[in-house]
Amino acid sequence: MQLPYSWIKELVDIDWSPEELADRLTLSGAETEVEYLTEIPFDNIVIGEVLECGPVPESDHLSKCLVTDGTEKIPVVCGAPNVAKGQKIVLAKVGAELAGGFKIKKAKLRGVESHGMICSERELGISEDHSGIMVLDEKAPVGKPFFKTMGLDDAILKLDLTPNRADLMSAFGVARDVSCLSGKPMVRPEFEIDENSEKASDYVKVGIADPDACPRYAARIIKNITVKESPWWLQRRLMLSGIRPISNIVDIANLVMLETGHPLHAFDYDTFKRKEILVRRAKEGEKFTTLDGKEHTLNPDVLLITDGAAAVGVGGIMGGLDSEVTDGTRNILLEAAFFDSRTTRRGRQKLGITSEAQARFEKGADPNMVEYAINRAAALMAQLGEGELVSGIVDCYPKRIEPKKVTLRPDKVNVLLGTKLSKERMIEILRAIEFGVEDKGNLEVTVPTFTSDITREADLAEEIIRLEGYEAVPYIDENKGPLFAPYPEDEAFKDNIRKVLTGQGYDEVYSGGLADPKLLSSISDVENPIQVINPIAEDLKVMETTMLYTLFKSAGHNISHRNIDLQLFVVGKVYLPGDPPVENYQIGLLVTGGTSDSWLGKGRELGYFDLKGAIEALTCYCRLPELEYRPKTAKILVESTSHEILMGGQKIGVIGEVNSNIARLFDVKQKLFVGLLDFEELLAHRKGEAIYRPLPKFPAAPRDLAVTVNEGVKVGEIIAAIRKNGGHLLEIVTLFDLFRGKQIGEGKKSLAFSMIYRSPERSLEAEEVQAVHNRIADNLKKEFGAEIREG
Amino acid sequence: MSGLDDVKKLLAEAKAALSEVKSPKELEAVHLRFLGRKGEVTSILRGLKDLPDELKKAVGAAANNARQELEELAGTIGEKFKTLKIDPTFDPTLPGISQRLGAIHIINKVMAQIVQSFQRMGFAIATGPDIETDYNNFEGLNFPPDHPARDMQDTFYVEGNLLLRTHTSPVQIRVMEKTKPPVKFIAPGKTFRNEAISARSNYVFHQVEGFLVDKGVSLADLKACLVAFCKDFFGEDIKLRFRPSYFPFTEPSAEVDITCFLCKGEGCQLCKYAGWLEILGCGMIDPNVLRNVNYDPEIYSGYAFGMGVERIAMLKYGIRDIRLLYENDIRFVRQFI
Repeated sequence: MQLPYSWIKELVDIDWSPEELADRLTLSGAETEVEYLTEIPFDNIVIGEVLECGPVPESDHLSKCLVTDGTEKIPVVCGAPNVAKGQKIVLAKVGAELAGGFKIKKAKLRGVESHGMICSERELGISEDHSGIMVLDEKAPVGKPFFKTMGLDDAILKLDLTPNRADLMSAFGVARDVSCLSGKPMVRPEFEIDENSEKASDYVKVGIADPDACPRYAARIIKNITVKESPWWLQRRLMLSGIRPISNIVDIANLVMLETGHPLHAFDYDTFKRKEILVRRAKEGEKFTTLDGKEHTLNPDVLLITDGAAAVGVGGIMGGLDSEVTDGTRNILLEAAFFDSRTTRRGRQKLGITSEAQARFEKGADPNMVEYAINRAAALMAQLGEGELVSGIVDCYPKRIEPKKVTLRPDKVNVLLGTKLSKERMIEILRAIEFGVEDKGNLEVTVPTFTSDITREADLAEEIIRLEGYEAVPYIDENKGPLFAPYPEDEAFKDNIRKVLTGQGYDEVYSGGLADPKLLSSISDVENPIQVINPIAEDLKVMETTMLYTLFKSAGHNISHRNIDLQLFVVGKVYLPGDPPVENYQIGLLVTGGTSDSWLGKGRELGYFDLKGAIEALTCYCRLPELEYRPKTAKILVESTSHEILMGGQKIGVIGEVNSNIARLFDVKQKLFVGLLDFEELLAHRKGEAIYRPLPKFPAAPRDLAVTVNEGVKVGEIIAAIRKNGGHLLEIVTLFDLFRGKQIGEGKKSLAFSMIYRSPERSLEAEEVQAVHNRIADNLKKEFGAEIREG
Repeated sequence: MSGLDDVKKLLAEAKAALSEVKSPKELEAVHLRFLGRKGEVTSILRGLKDLPDELKKAVGAAANNARQELEELAGTIGEKFKTLKIDPTFDPTLPGISQRLGAIHIINKVMAQIVQSFQRMGFAIATGPDIETDYNNFEGLNFPPDHPARDMQDTFYVEGNLLLRTHTSPVQIRVMEKTKPPVKFIAPGKTFRNEAISARSNYVFHQVEGFLVDKGVSLADLKACLVAFCKDFFGEDIKLRFRPSYFPFTEPSAEVDITCFLCKGEGCQLCKYAGWLEILGCGMIDPNVLRNVNYDPEIYSGYAFGMGVERIAMLKYGIRDIRLLYENDIRFVRQFI
C-alpha cells in the first residue's frame, strides 16, 4: 500500500515531515517507509519544448531536434518514434544523471551534435515505459524544473500492512489514524452530485442470487461521456500511489478506491445484452475471460457479475474483457458492491488472480462506504468525462450490515495493559478514529463497519494502546509467575552429550529434517518415510529417518570443499511413520580422514576405535552402563566392522565402516566410519549419581602378562576371562601392547596386559598374588591356546 | 691519581659490563675485575690515602657508593641466574598440546543462550512435536479456516491431515491443555515454512516461544520480561521499542525492536539506517486462545512472545547468508566454538 505524503497532508493539516509521519505510523501499527518516485537526482531535468524536428540523414529512426529550455536552444538527437515539433517534453540537460546512472554529456550522433536528451518514463526512473518519450500537457511551463513543477518530487509513504488492517488500505483510513495521532481533524473532499432527470432504475435492475457472498450491490449510470486521458493531477496522484494511469474513467475508479478503500468497477453499459445485473455463483465448467485477456474455467467457488445471461465480471476480483471500458465507450455502468471476504479468497485461490480490489475485499472492505464511493466516482466521471449523471443509485442491499457494539470496561483494559489511562482519554482516542462511544460507566462502543477485526474488549484495548503508544506501558521491575523452573532431564542429557563430544574433538552438525527420498532409501531401513505433500524440491520430499543422512551429506559437502579430516556428531530428530508419527532423538557420529600432524609426530588415521572411544567417553560422562558390541550385518556397513551396540542386552545403536558404494552416493571416496545411538534408550538407562567408595587402604600389587594368541581370538574375550579368573583380588586389567610381526609368527598376535591386584582388607602376600596370576595364565593357555611370553 | 671523574667513568664502565653478562661465569669475571681484591673499584679505595685531603672525602664517598651500587646489581643478576637454569633444548614457543575442541552448532548454541536467559527468570522448558495437527498449529491459536492470516505462514503438509509446525506456538496449546495456570514456559524448537531457499530464508528454522499465564498478567509484565532478556542477551545499554503488530493468537500484539548494537542507533548497514533491529513478536494471549484451552479469560491473562533463533544468531555474529547455517561446513561451524 502506498500513498503520496501530499494526499495525507491534504486530508489532515499536519506539520510533520514525511519521515516523522512515517515514524508515527510505524509506531501506531503500520510499518511505513518514505520513498520517492524516482531515485535519480532532480537537477538539470527541466520542462522543454521541441522547436524543430527532422530526420537524421542515413538513419531510419533518429530525429534531429532543436529544443528550448526557455532560455537556450539546444540540439538534441532523439530516437523515440513519437517525438514531434511543438511537444512539451522532459529535457535532460548536460550534467543530468538518468536511471541506471546514465550521465548526459555533449555528444555527436551520426555526425549530428546532441547536447541533451528527451526522456522516456523509464529514463526518468518513474516507470518501465520506454515505448516513447514522455509527452507533457501543452500548458506545461517551459524551463521549469520537471519533478518539482509536475509534483513528482513528493514523498511516497509505503505502508506494510498486517492482515488485520484493512482499514488502512485507503487515504481516508490512513488519515483517520493520522488525525487521531496529531489531534487535528480530517477533512474529506466535498463534491456535488449533478443528476439529470432520467432514473437509473430505468436503465438497470440489480439482483443478488447469493446475498451471503455479495451482501450489497449498487449501480449508477453515467451517460455520454468521453473516454480520454486524465488530467495531470489525477495521473500524478495515481502514479505516486503506484497505479498506472489508463483513461479518465478507469483512473477515477482507481482514485476513489485509493481514497475510500472501496473498490469500484466501470462497465461499458452498451456491451450488456440485457439491461440488468445479476450476481450469482459460476456453474461448474463455465468459461469466462477476465480483462487481462485470460480465459478461465470456473466452478461454484467463483462469484460472477452477469447481465442476467452472460458474465461481465468476477465479483470483487476482476472485470470481464468484453465489458471493458474502451476509447469508444459512451455510457458507463458504475459498480460499487460489497463482497464477502471468504468468497473473494476462494475465488482468488481458484482463479489465481490478485488485484487491488481483491486485496481489499479479501481483507475486508466497508459495506457502508458504498454510497460515498459511488457518488464521488460518478460525480468525477460526469465532470471529467463531460457526461451526464443519471439520477439515483440502484442499490440492492437485502440485509444491512450494522456496526457492532462492544462493551469496554476501562478498569479491565488498564489491568490488561498495565496502564492507568483515564476513561476520558480512552473515549477521546476511540472517537478520534470515528468509533461511537457512549459512557454508561462502562463504555458502549459502536465499531464502524470499516473494520471487521474489532469484536471484543481486547481488540479495543489494542486500538487504545496502539494510538496512545506502547511507550505509555510502564516499565516495572517485577518477575511474575511460578518461583522455580525445573530443568528437564532430556535437555540436561543433550547438553551433556554436546559437552562430551565437543570435548572429544567432534564438531556438531545440524539436521534439517527433510531428505531426498532416493538417497534416504539407500541408507535407511525405514520403508515408508513420512512424505511432504507439497515439497519445495525433489530432494526435500521426505522426513529424515536416520541421522546418517545428515552425517553423510555433511561429509560430502566438507570433503568436496577439501576438508577431508572430519569428526562430526549430530543430535537430531528422526521421524518415523505411525499414527501419530513418532519423533525420536538420535545421536550420530562420523569420522573420516586422520588427526592432524604435529611436532610430536605424524597424525594417524581416524577410524572405528575413535568412534568407540567417543562413545565410551559418552557413557562414562553420562553415567551409562557398560556397552557390548555384537557383530551384526547392516546393508550400509562393511561386514567385518559392522556391529550393533547393546546396553543391558538391549540394542541401542550401530557402529562400523561405511560401504564404499554407499559413501559414493554422497560423493565421498574416502573411508567413512559411523556410529548411531538411540537417544531415548540412553536416557532411560542412565545410572544414578555416583556414591563414594572408600579409598584403598592397602598397597597394590602390579603384575604384567604377555601372551601370544591366534588372530581369531578377541581381546574382549581374553579380558573377560582374565577378570573372571582374577576374581575379587584383580582390581584393574589394562591392555598396554598389541604387536604383530615375524618374530611371533604368521597369523598370531602378541598381547601384553598389566594387572593390579589389591585387597580392601589387607596387604597381599606375594605368593597369593602369584597364585591368582598363574591361574589367569593357565586359563588363557587352556581356553585360548595362548602361549605365555616371558618378560 | 684518581679524581671524581674517574669514579664516575668506572661506574659507567662496570654497569655496562654487568648488563652484558650472560652466564654466572661471566658475572664472576666482571665481579673480579671491578670489585675483587685487586679490582678497579677496590684499588681506588685503597689509593685514597695518597690523595690530597680536599679530595679524600669526596672521592671516598663516591667510590663507596659506586661499590655498593655495583654489588647490588651483581647480586640481582646472580639471583636471576640461580632461578633460571637454562636448558637449550626447551623451546617454550612450541605450540601447546591439547585435544582439539569441537564446536556446538551455532543454532544450538544461540538457542541455548536464549533459553538460559529465560530460565534465570523462572521459565521452565516445554517441547512439542515438529509434526503437528492443524488444530494445534492454527485453529487453537485463533487462525480460523480461510482466514487471511493463514497466508502469512506457508505450510508443509504431510499425510494424515498433519503439517510441519510453522511456529513453536502449538506448544502453548499443548502445555495449557494439560496444565492449570499459572504456567510459565519457554519452548525452543524447529519450525518449517514452505518458502524458497535464499540468503534470507530457509525451509527450516528455529524459534523460541515463551508464555506466562496467571491472574493479573499485563502488557507491562511482558515489557519487563523482554527488557530483562534483551539487556541480558544484547547488553545493558540496549533500548527497546514496542510497535503494534498483528498475530492471530495475541491481542494486543507488538513487535519489538532493539537499538542496533552495531551503530548504537546511529544508523548503519546492519539496521538499514533505521537505528533499530526487529528482534521478536509478542502480545497478550488472545482471549479466544485462553478459551480454547479452558482458561477463563475473565480470571486469567497472559503474554506470549516468539523469536527467530537464526535471525538473532545472524544479527549477533554478523552472518549475512542464512544458508551458511545449514550447510554444516566445518570452516563455518568451528568459528563459533
